[in-house]
Amino acid sequence: MTDLLIDSNIRTCVFLPIVVITFLVGILRHYVSVLTGSTKQADLQQVQDSQVLIRSRMLRENGGTLPKSSFQMRRHYFNNEDSGYFKTQKRTSPNTNPMSDPSVMTDMLKGNITNVLPMIVIGGWINWMFSGFVTTKVPFPLTLRFKPMLQRGIELTSLDPSWVSSASWYFLNVFGLRSIYTLVLGENNAADQSRHFQDQMSGAAMALPPDPKQAFKAEWETLEICEHKWALQNVESELLAMKD
Amino acid sequence: MHWTEARDLVRKWREDNVRKSSELIEIWENSLKDKVHKLGDEQYQVLEQVCVGALDCHRIDVAEYCLKKLMAQFKDSSRILLLNAMELEAIEMYDDAIELLDALIKRDATNPAPRKRKIAILRSQGKTVEAIKELTVYLKRFAIDQEAWQELSDLYLSEQEYGKASFCMEELILHNPHNHLFHERLAEIKYTQGGFDNLEQARAYYCQALKLNRNNMRALFGLYLTAYSIATSQKCVSAKKKEAHNLMSFAMKRISQR
Repeated sequence: MTDLLIDSNIRTCVFLPIVVITFLVGILRHYVSVLTGSTKQADLQQVQDSQVLIRSRMLRENGGTLPKSSFQMRRHYFNNEDSGYFKTQKRTSPNTNPMSDPSVMTDMLKGNITNVLPMIVIGGWINWMFSGFVTTKVPFPLTLRFKPMLQRGIELTSLDPSWVSSASWYFLNVFGLRSIYTLVLGENNAADQSRHFQDQMSGAAMALPPDPKQAFKAEWETLEICEHKWALQNVESELLAMKD
Repeated sequence: MHWTEARDLVRKWREDNVRKSSELIEIWENSLKDKVHKLGDEQYQVLEQVCVGALDCHRIDVAEYCLKKLMAQFKDSSRILLLNAMELEAIEMYDDAIELLDALIKRDATNPAPRKRKIAILRSQGKTVEAIKELTVYLKRFAIDQEAWQELSDLYLSEQEYGKASFCMEELILHNPHNHLFHERLAEIKYTQGGFDNLEQARAYYCQALKLNRNNMRALFGLYLTAYSIATSQKCVSAKKKEAHNLMSFAMKRISQR
């Protein structure tokens, strides 16, 4: 099979413009989300709860370094039936219905406007504007399974799978420009679309605010079954046995 | 010193949390002050750092200069206002400082820094008991603030509340079980408290401190004294006496080696 020769005009009019457009759109989206984004204010109660949970976890992990009485005193403080922190502090489950909280609604709307909308609009426009071009070739052979991924918009059965169509090139750029954005905009920028996709894929459970009531119950249980083992039991003889 | 060298050194100090205030002010006045505009966005961090350093050395003129520059750039930032409160504190205008800090707390209740400054003010006024009270309230909210636990332990020690001070030290050990200084300090508190059980605990913690850092001279002396007290105690059984003597000779040998 003879090799394909691509017109150099495709490089200047399709290949490079797609790179530049995706890059600039990413930059633009970053600044738009900086402008519209609102930083979430944690409230004091949440801070307190999370710190108490960390403290209790520390007690479980490193409690062996304390004398038994000190360990039990602390566990009593957290776990006592009548006066323990995890038992007496009643937290209501956070309201998960977004309809009742307008700030959640606006956040969602903003997220959609800066993330999903440009994706659809730019993607559609690129598909319409640059449809049907073979733009580039990946420098390694690929199996036929890759055809729908790399040759979106071109239905040619005889074409070698390592050729990339313009629409697929756009998608490769969308997901592949992440490190360039990190270079230009710094860490944790909003231009990165793949991050948004990961958010969606990890499911709604991750995005919800943690429920302190559940967390307290779980922590109470683990702390309750946690046994104290005095870690400095033999430290004197260990010290004497240490070599200089 | 060239200003780029000065910048790198100051940056290193800032990142490592080194508090060499008088050296910092010297560098600032000799090489950085006239070049600060060349630092780009970093200049504001440098200005903040120098401002704190100047307050340490009671160079109010330098602090004032930095603060003015920062104020001109960031009018309403909590970070700058906190610096402002620190300056008020340094010139002993405590009431104004507290007023400003209260406003900052009201603005963002989750920011620990202004609350801590308020406690620091109480301490510098010598109101130890009030400071302890405030600090316990603070620690109920921010239960894992190690700095605060350390401070509280210190305050209790100055009030001779050894039991409570050791509680705070234990908390610090929980958070950082590999820091030999915490173990050493807890052992010291226990040794000071006295009593056979406390002495035994002190011995264990001194040993742990030495295990983590064998060159801790203070712990070596402490271990020697503790073992001596245990060996001469009435309650000591002979097996423990032997161990105590072993520890004494061990500590003695180490000390004389240095």
